[in-house]
Amino acid sequence: MSLEKKVGAALFEVIDPELGINIMDLGLVYGIGVDTEDNVKIVMTLTTPGCPMHDSIKIGVKRRISQIEGVGDIDIDLVWEPAWSPAKMSDRAKERLGFA
Amino acid sequence: MLPGGNMQSNTNIKLPLAFILYALAALVISQFVLFANNDVLAMGQFRIPDIWMGAHFLLLGYAIMIAMGAMYQLVPVALLAPIWNQTFGFIQYIITAIGVTAFSIMLGVAPDKALYGGIIAIIGIIMFIVQMIITISRQEKKNMMTGFVLGAISCFFLTIAAGFMLAWNLSNGGISSHGTILSTHITLGVAGWFTLLIFGFSYKLVPMFSLSHGYSMKWAKPAFMTYIVGLAILISSFWLDAALIATIGWFVLMTGFFFFVLDIREILNKRIKKKLDKPFSFSLIAIFNGLGVHILAFIFSISGIQTTSVWGWLIFLYVMAWIIFSILGYLYKIVPFLWWTHKYSNKIGNEKVPTLKEMIDEKNSVILFTLFIISTAGLTVSGLLYINILVFIFQGLLAVTSLLYALSIIRVLTK
Repeated sequence: MSLEKKVGAALFEVIDPELGINIMDLGLVYGIGVDTEDNVKIVMTLTTPGCPMHDSIKIGVKRRISQIEGVGDIDIDLVWEPAWSPAKMSDRAKERLGFA
Repeated sequence: MLPGGNMQSNTNIKLPLAFILYALAALVISQFVLFANNDVLAMGQFRIPDIWMGAHFLLLGYAIMIAMGAMYQLVPVALLAPIWNQTFGFIQYIITAIGVTAFSIMLGVAPDKALYGGIIAIIGIIMFIVQMIITISRQEKKNMMTGFVLGAISCFFLTIAAGFMLAWNLSNGGISSHGTILSTHITLGVAGWFTLLIFGFSYKLVPMFSLSHGYSMKWAKPAFMTYIVGLAILISSFWLDAALIATIGWFVLMTGFFFFVLDIREILNKRIKKKLDKPFSFSLIAIFNGLGVHILAFIFSISGIQTTSVWGWLIFLYVMAWIIFSILGYLYKIVPFLWWTHKYSNKIGNEKVPTLKEMIDEKNSVILFTLFIISTAGLTVSGLLYINILVFIFQGLLAVTSLLYALSIIRVLTK
């Protein structure tokens, strides 16, 4: 499995504590990049700017990725554009929230 | 892409938690003081020292201390502005707690000396206002929430100024318009400070807890402007002693509240989270209670009802069913968040951590909130009908429910 896929799989284990749903199914992760030296860059957002869980989720992402063997530096780029929208959620997340 | 920037709150959780724990103790004390005086409550007598003590433990000790603690936590995340000086915040906490305790107790046991406790409380409150004004002034991009919070803080300042005059008059006398100042004090404190504050934070908390997107907030500005104008009209009616102006004031306040409800309705209609958490639903019920109380106040005013006990119980309903219920519901979200951040935020990604919902007992919360509704409604009806035994039972139920509620919140801190 490529490192990019391993990172993606690991992020399914980072749960938004307010919603109880992982950040991948919530559609919070916009991009996973891995360079030639196995440094990882994550471009992600949160459901709302000023989310009180801002720090916790960001730290959680970094910590979970750091547990993967062979990962170099980890850079989390938190962005607000494009803004998160419900359309970015997986069907599984929509179902959990009763939105489907 | 627009970078997120540094939006961390960095608030030491001990600061908001200290306020909240004091407030829970004050809630329980207030309800037991009122329970001990259920006989005078049953007679519709609110302006006696023991009731002042209970009311001030409830409003200053519980509601204001909770509001302060919540603001220390919410202002950084909602307005994206870090608290100016947290050490100053801890000093402010100690001074306010001493002042509020001394003031409330002295109102009950030695009203003529209440001024001294009041002065300490006022110093603490002014320190809080300074803290918040400096914090908010650092907010990069001002928005409608800033307006609500600043409006609330302005009303808060005027409330304590009026309160100081009342305490001064109790100690020294010489101010003839005591009743008018009292009405102004209650209106600014209850309707101005608390209502504007809850309006403002609801615009952040309701979308956040219901995961709502794509709402407009188009009524926020009209709600704010209308409510401020309503407050001004109602207060001027006290000084002019004009019933018609009071009725107009209540109408304008009701309209302002209605505008706010329109926005909340739109936010809820556009929510993604269809099944809302029970404590949060309780806070939403409080919003509709608030609208109901405003409608009742307008009807009573236009009908020329001037019975002191009727208005006394209406103020009680305004405080309990709108302000206190809002706070009771939100606290079930705020405290688990604070404790989760303290205990688990460094473990996320490393090990399985509980969700916020798993930190509370939602089933028990439903029982407690139901008991709050029953006891508040029962107390109001039995008070209005002067049925002593029912006032005794429902105030007793309210006191016990408050105790159980406080214990249920403290239990979160063991998770």
